[in-house]
Amino acid sequence: MNIVVCVKQVPETAEAELKIASGGKGIVEEGLPLQINEPDNYALEEALLITEEHDGDVTVVTLGHDSSEEVLRMSMAKGAAEAVRVADPAFDGGDGLATAGALAAAVKDLDYDLVLTGCMASDDGNTQVGVALAELLGIPHATYVTQVDVGDGKVTVGRELEGGLIEKLEIGLPCVLGIQTGINEPRYASIMGIAKASKREIELKAAGDLGLDAGSVGEAGSGTVLDGLEFPPAGEGAEILDGTPPEASGKLADILKEKGFV
Amino acid sequence: MRVSMAEKYELMGCIQCGRCTAGCPVSLRTHLNVRRVVYDGMRGVGPKDAKALPSAWNCTTCSNCTERCPKGVKPMELVIGLRSAAIEKGRIEPTIRDALESTLKHGNPWGRGREKRTEWAEELGVPVAAEGEAIPLLFYVGCTPAYDPEAQSVATALVALFKAAGVEYSTLGTSESCCGNDIRRMGEEGLFEMLVDGNKEEFGGHEIGTIVTGSPHCMNTFKNEYGEMPSEVLHYSQLLASLIEEGKLTFKGKVEKKVTFHDACFLGKHNGIYDEPRTVLEAIPGVEFEEMDRSRERALCCEGGGGRMWVEAVEERGERLAETRVKDAVALGADYLVTACPFCLLTLQDAVKTSGNEGKIEIIDLAALAAMAL
Repeated sequence: MNIVVCVKQVPETAEAELKIASGGKGIVEEGLPLQINEPDNYALEEALLITEEHDGDVTVVTLGHDSSEEVLRMSMAKGAAEAVRVADPAFDGGDGLATAGALAAAVKDLDYDLVLTGCMASDDGNTQVGVALAELLGIPHATYVTQVDVGDGKVTVGRELEGGLIEKLEIGLPCVLGIQTGINEPRYASIMGIAKASKREIELKAAGDLGLDAGSVGEAGSGTVLDGLEFPPAGEGAEILDGTPPEASGKLADILKEKGFV
Repeated sequence: MRVSMAEKYELMGCIQCGRCTAGCPVSLRTHLNVRRVVYDGMRGVGPKDAKALPSAWNCTTCSNCTERCPKGVKPMELVIGLRSAAIEKGRIEPTIRDALESTLKHGNPWGRGREKRTEWAEELGVPVAAEGEAIPLLFYVGCTPAYDPEAQSVATALVALFKAAGVEYSTLGTSESCCGNDIRRMGEEGLFEMLVDGNKEEFGGHEIGTIVTGSPHCMNTFKNEYGEMPSEVLHYSQLLASLIEEGKLTFKGKVEKKVTFHDACFLGKHNGIYDEPRTVLEAIPGVEFEEMDRSRERALCCEGGGGRMWVEAVEERGERLAETRVKDAVALGADYLVTACPFCLLTLQDAVKTSGNEGKIEIIDLAALAAMAL
């Protein structure tokens, strides 16, 4: 059972005060720590767990700039056997479809039984790449996967639906699964492990290596156009509680009591 | 060549006398048996087969075992070595994993952004050194006093005390990164080395005379584990004691309370700093100071060290040691249980609540108590 995992490096924004970059089409990434997209981390762990049980190798693939090799090295430190970086200035500005096109070109020649992606990218939140990738590879897919059982030539998966329901599906291999966070507990990659992995080769693939024409990838190959980013306007009706934590929690308790919630 | 655990940690001196286990505070409430860990190590039982491996996470690295060992064996270092084996396999508690990943990304184990590191200092006029500027006295705040809302009392009190004593100092602002003391004790040697290199480079860019830390944990690693350091390293209690002795720090106010003092392991047992905090306590007008039975070298660990701020003891039983400590202080009739370590502050504050002693006693940091008397 060989598995390809598509991973993406994203800026960590949980604690950041985001600023829109000049040009209005992105955020200022300077000073933001970069990390593996959170759902991709769970997809990687799931792939490692499956190959530990059923044998086989994990190959990680990313589309990104030089810095994204950190994510590949971390993946190799955790146990991925091979790593591929799809890299070409022509890929810049691509949407989910264009990204899936580049990844599909890189994945199609690999030896795989299963492709895992995260269910969503935490930077753009588009949830498109996995689905488009399956379509372009001509294989079935499932999204928001929270359970995977590998059988003979097939997988049984649980998909998270609205209202806490789980849809059970049996899917023939190969297929693409978009993995939801919480499906497992990702392992830790030690710094020494990452340092060792940094000596291993990462295969680079430019547009030409993949037989892709520059006019069909990146911004030119995208199905959507990004007009610009803006912050949502401040709404009304929210009360910000100030003071020290004990003071603020006291005020919160008073409000909850007053409104009859406790 | 592969070095055995016995060689690496010099275990063959062990005579299995049991002084380590007898002095181990967490052996009271977990299955950690240090003597067994050393015995396994001597017999060449590798970390893979070591029955003690899960128990290794119970250790608070208080160093009681190492202090008490008559043969100079360092069982605590062996326990850290066992953790390293787990770290290299990647199979560790998620809370430890998150603390380590946060330290790599943000320079602190609390999952907080680097740019938020100085939020506590806003409006306090805390000086931040410019790039390349010499710093005769660096106030190294530390992650916990910088980010934790309760432990920020340590940092804000020190700023007030420095001002009152006319101390010229500076900080590194958002360029300050985790010291790595507890990272090393969680067993992440690679990350620790990375922090050492990064911090030494940062310090080296400033020509620092003295580093004074807000936490004994930071002081410990800077002083004992950073190799050659061009700067003198002090815990703040040492600086305050000498400021008092030199007559530079004086108190106009009074704190008319009965207080007792909890010796932090990394201040006391690891570094032998017992007198300076007491010098500070005794200089505060109005304070009635009384020792607990278990004080100084015999002080009971609060269970906040060695990465235990980020992970509960496994197979734990009985009351938390911090609860025992709070009960001891309440029995003494103390109004305040004073400590000089942000981890002790937090574990003891929690223990006041969990042991049902809210309203009976308060946990206060030594600096905060001193600042009350300014």
